[in-house]
Amino acid sequence: MEIEIRDIDGIVDELGTESHALIPILQAIQGRYNFLPEEALKRVCELTEITPAQLVGVASFYSQFRFKPAGKHMIKVCVGTACHVKGAEQVYDAVKRELGLEKADDTTPSGEYTIEKVNCLGCCTLAPVVQIDEVTYGHVSTSKVASVLSDFESQESASKKKKYKYADGGEVKGEIRIGLGSCCVASGSDEIRDSVKDTIDRKGLNVKLKHVGCVGMCHQVPLVEIVPTHGEPTLYSKVDAADVDQIVERHFKPEGLVRRLTSRLMSAANSVRDDSRWDGVDRYSLDVREKHVSLFLDKQIPMATEFRGVINPVDVEEYKQRNGFRGLLRALKQKSPQQVIDEIVESGIRGRGGGGFPSGKKWQLVADTPGEKKYIICNGDEGDPGAFMDRMLLESYPYRIIEGMIAAGYAVGAAEGILYIRAEYPLAVTRIQQALVVCREQGYLGKDIQGTGVDFELSVYQGAGAFVCGEETALIESIEGKRGFPRIRPPFPAIKGLWGHPTLVNNTETFAHVAYILKNRAASFNKIGTESSRGTKVFALAGKVARGGLIEVPMGMSIREVVEEIGGGVANGREFKAVQIGGPSGGCVPAWKADTPIDFESLKEVGAMMGSGGLVVLDDADCMVDIARYFLTFTQNEACGKCSFGRIGTKRMLEILEKITTGRGNEKDLDKLEELAHWTKTGSLCALCGTAPNPILSTLEYFREEYEAHIRGECPAGKCKDLIKYEITDDCIGCTLCAQDCPVDAIAFKPHEKHVVDNELCIKCDACRQVCPEGAVITK
Amino acid sequence: MLRLKIDNRELEVEAGSALIEVIRESGIEVPSMCYLKDLPHFSSCMVCVVKDRKSGKLLPSCSLEVEEGMDIISNDDEIFQARKTSLELLLSEHVGDCEAPCQVTCPAHMDIPLMNRLLARGEFAEALKVVKKDIALPSVLGRICPAPCEGACRRKSIDEAVSICLLKRAAGDADLGLEDSWIPEKEPVTGKKVSVIGAGPAGLAAAWHLVLKGHSVRLIHRHGKAGGSMLKLKEEELPASVLQKEISLIEKAGVEFQSSTDVDEKGFGKILSESDAVVVASGQGESGIKAWGLPMHAKGVEADRNTYRVAKTSVFVVGSALKPSRMAIRALGQGKEAAFSVDQYLRAKDVSGEPFMFNSRFGKLNPAEYAEYLKESVPGNRIEPLSLAEGMSREEVMKEAARCLHCDCRELENCRLRIYSDQFGADQRKFKSEERQLCTKSDQHEQVIYESSKCIKCGLCVRITEKYSEDFGFTFIGRGFDVVLGIPFNESLGSGLKKVALEVAQACPTGAISKK
Repeated sequence: MEIEIRDIDGIVDELGTESHALIPILQAIQGRYNFLPEEALKRVCELTEITPAQLVGVASFYSQFRFKPAGKHMIKVCVGTACHVKGAEQVYDAVKRELGLEKADDTTPSGEYTIEKVNCLGCCTLAPVVQIDEVTYGHVSTSKVASVLSDFESQESASKKKKYKYADGGEVKGEIRIGLGSCCVASGSDEIRDSVKDTIDRKGLNVKLKHVGCVGMCHQVPLVEIVPTHGEPTLYSKVDAADVDQIVERHFKPEGLVRRLTSRLMSAANSVRDDSRWDGVDRYSLDVREKHVSLFLDKQIPMATEFRGVINPVDVEEYKQRNGFRGLLRALKQKSPQQVIDEIVESGIRGRGGGGFPSGKKWQLVADTPGEKKYIICNGDEGDPGAFMDRMLLESYPYRIIEGMIAAGYAVGAAEGILYIRAEYPLAVTRIQQALVVCREQGYLGKDIQGTGVDFELSVYQGAGAFVCGEETALIESIEGKRGFPRIRPPFPAIKGLWGHPTLVNNTETFAHVAYILKNRAASFNKIGTESSRGTKVFALAGKVARGGLIEVPMGMSIREVVEEIGGGVANGREFKAVQIGGPSGGCVPAWKADTPIDFESLKEVGAMMGSGGLVVLDDADCMVDIARYFLTFTQNEACGKCSFGRIGTKRMLEILEKITTGRGNEKDLDKLEELAHWTKTGSLCALCGTAPNPILSTLEYFREEYEAHIRGECPAGKCKDLIKYEITDDCIGCTLCAQDCPVDAIAFKPHEKHVVDNELCIKCDACRQVCPEGAVITK
Repeated sequence: MLRLKIDNRELEVEAGSALIEVIRESGIEVPSMCYLKDLPHFSSCMVCVVKDRKSGKLLPSCSLEVEEGMDIISNDDEIFQARKTSLELLLSEHVGDCEAPCQVTCPAHMDIPLMNRLLARGEFAEALKVVKKDIALPSVLGRICPAPCEGACRRKSIDEAVSICLLKRAAGDADLGLEDSWIPEKEPVTGKKVSVIGAGPAGLAAAWHLVLKGHSVRLIHRHGKAGGSMLKLKEEELPASVLQKEISLIEKAGVEFQSSTDVDEKGFGKILSESDAVVVASGQGESGIKAWGLPMHAKGVEADRNTYRVAKTSVFVVGSALKPSRMAIRALGQGKEAAFSVDQYLRAKDVSGEPFMFNSRFGKLNPAEYAEYLKESVPGNRIEPLSLAEGMSREEVMKEAARCLHCDCRELENCRLRIYSDQFGADQRKFKSEERQLCTKSDQHEQVIYESSKCIKCGLCVRITEKYSEDFGFTFIGRGFDVVLGIPFNESLGSGLKKVALEVAQACPTGAISKK
């Protein structure tokens, strides 16, 4: 590839020559060339104070950066927890097979496609998910991989240009709300929006079309809510673009003649496919106001997610109408910084990032530390596979987060703040950036905020793909333009943080709660929850649950209530086995401990952890050793490599788990695993590896017999590839679907006869089991 | 100034000090590998962990700044275990030998690679000194030794083992050929008397090493000539003149030979009463031994396996008297080791036997590593001398010795990973994995060599090259377990280390970067 030196010079001109500009510079270069050409990097070293050692060290640390050109199209296979338990590994293998890629390759020889695994696309309820460029495919199974690829290719060739028309003004008869969180967008809400616009226009309706943030009911997406000016609102779930006409017509009668307005060419929106559009798959039913919808919502208390599904994320006027910024203004005008801190202390809120440190105490510490300069950092580097609370909050309530941060700045004496957001969350970055512009225009940011004499400025820093940067000291190193190596604490960032200045680092959700607390007073927050865990917590409920999604529940609610009442229990008539709470730092709580209340202490007691709030429900088809191995694969891959315990301890544990899940383990391995888990927990420098053994320790405690079974060569859940065989029972009706879908012809095509799997040929891709209409394919 | 407690002792220290320095200044040893005063700390090796009494947490003391009211436990069982575990984790991926496989295998534990390097340079006299440190009879053994070392030689997997036995013989023969054969300087006279019974390889070796340590040694044997079972060998196997010449050097070193003496029960009692210590090296089937009143088992005398000492006595037993063996080198090695124990005993020290340092080992070479190891050697098959009786010519010796691969580590004495592993009794195999990383040797730099598989990823090289503003320097490449230390943009070691190569080699806690 030809490198235009001028391009690089331009990037450096724009982003600066200081060493902390490195990551943004690398992101810009990759944005330009699709990888990091060496010539470009050398030019950066010439132009800036960045040394080759710093540059290569940093570029090779963050997984966002590529040193080889990527293919024309990126295929991202989500291997988040929810996707994992629904067969993401097999999907990944199937894509590679389909593209004819060797094990070590990730790019097709023609340079057409590059495949990669991503930790979470945040569409857990559509699992397994595959994203090709901007197109997201949900519910992908191994046998559908070929059609996904051909669908993408046909999309590519047909340049899709649609025309949309708007309805004109007049009395608004009501509102049609369409969810625009990532989940909704991924499931096709953009198409629905287009279709609604189209319908409104054609029928000449005086109806307001409104985009709202995440509603939380991700299991029902895409969602459309019809709110007539007079009368009850109606919520439609799993809406198909083709059904929009019918829905709209049911509520709004057309008025007079259709008036055509100037047509306008919309930019090509994200297009989305999921299985609802394919042959042989049942279309989603159009249920109105189902009972389970109210069950899903009624048990919840939206605080961080207040007005969800109601307000437009980027409409600041609406935010203000609903009392946004009121708490902040009251604080700035009527309260001293100490009084603000006191309110936070009184609320009893503890950090929502996982550790649960009392937020008020942290604020006080920063406030009490002398320093000419102080910083506020919003930690939005959410990277847990199977957790997307921060993303949803940033996308849906950008003003609320900003409000919380400004208040924090006033309270602790900081005039500058940074929102650290994963680069994998482009929508969140865009929304926040839009909101920052609006806030500056309206005087909520900058000098003399709303005439109060308070100054505060905010900027966005995009992470570059390193889970460890969710750890506050690693995050700070990262902003400083270094490898994301955690530092030892003490000194805590509150004393010595960014550039050595006192720094308040809080999680995104914490800041959202802060805005709520300031608006509604501490008492409204601390009356909810338990003695030691006040308020509510947002969770991403996913896995084998009937109704997954983003939920916000009061602390102290039992796991059972969440799973059975909000989540509607385990799907497909299987048995509820366990809940994985807290992601890679958390643990598995078995079904028989499901009455455990969800609060910081109780979860710790049962070997799990609040973590950042992933809640994945597992059923009897899930292998607990596989779950432990899955999380260890994640943490081992994300470990920074600084300390011996984290770097080698996680690797050795993973090796043992791999040995066990492939049937090569022995009794001694369990002892060794426990020993390694103990020392990795005790000795690791930071919480990433310090908590990495939790998934192992909790499964060893509650499901030791499964480990022992693997050592005997059996996987009781029938999940671990090397320990199972596929068989077809007498329930087989001879429909031949399995034979048709088998990629390696391990099942002979015999219409009307019982089919047989040749286990010599079988690659255990699970296609046959998934396609069988009779459930006759089983694993043994 | 601020106040803190170390092991319940109140200290007043300067603010801003590193905890590790404060603890060390208070007289307590704290191991560390990744820390170097005056460089930014990094908390990587974790062997410097100490405990915060209040929280019970383990914290790397190199990275902690002292704080008012700190209450630190510098060492306890958990700390010891944590340090040991960290070492074991590091060892599990440390692919490199401390001592070379040949040396580890040699029953006399001779420093074979060093001998090879000296011979390759033509320094025969220096080579002999290395040999004689462990082997009292090099010319003899150079003819009769079955050479287990050659079985372990790494070169064997590439083509053929280095001809170690003949090289050793050449060193010995070169010395015997001199008018004034070499006798090491003896330690000051101790006035202690030792009797050695038996003049086979075990007895001769024990006598030789004891006399050099300054003791008065009498060697009692039953035949007219010393040599024990070696006397029975055929002239073509071991020319009598070679044996006698090497024995005469032992005599010249000061050992008193008392020939033609059969030791019976009474005689043994007398020897015991006349000596401060007795070494029994009387061989197998010595009829008298059973009557000497020593504790026996089926095959020989019952003695400690490490010290060779018969419990609670001044008697030490080596060679076939202990357990029948036909390998002269084993008997000779035992004689040397027993001499060490006897010396400890005579100097009223704790009799613990010759210490064996921790040795990192990694097993066989992978074919992909042959080329890497050959970088420090020369190509070509093993040189076979025209006549085995004549041995190799000087040129052949130099050429053959150059075939040695330099498997031994350059930092044997200074490697902190080795020193601490030894100190903590770390077990390298504890967390052994099924796969190991491949060895590489970067040798294109003039002053230093870089062996990445020995690296513990402490990053001292990164910090030093950064401090001294090397153009390229070292950097971490990659992340997590797979991180490697390398030169950015695939530049050579030479361009990475233009200014501070020797400083980096000096600071490297292992043999990963070492002076050539």
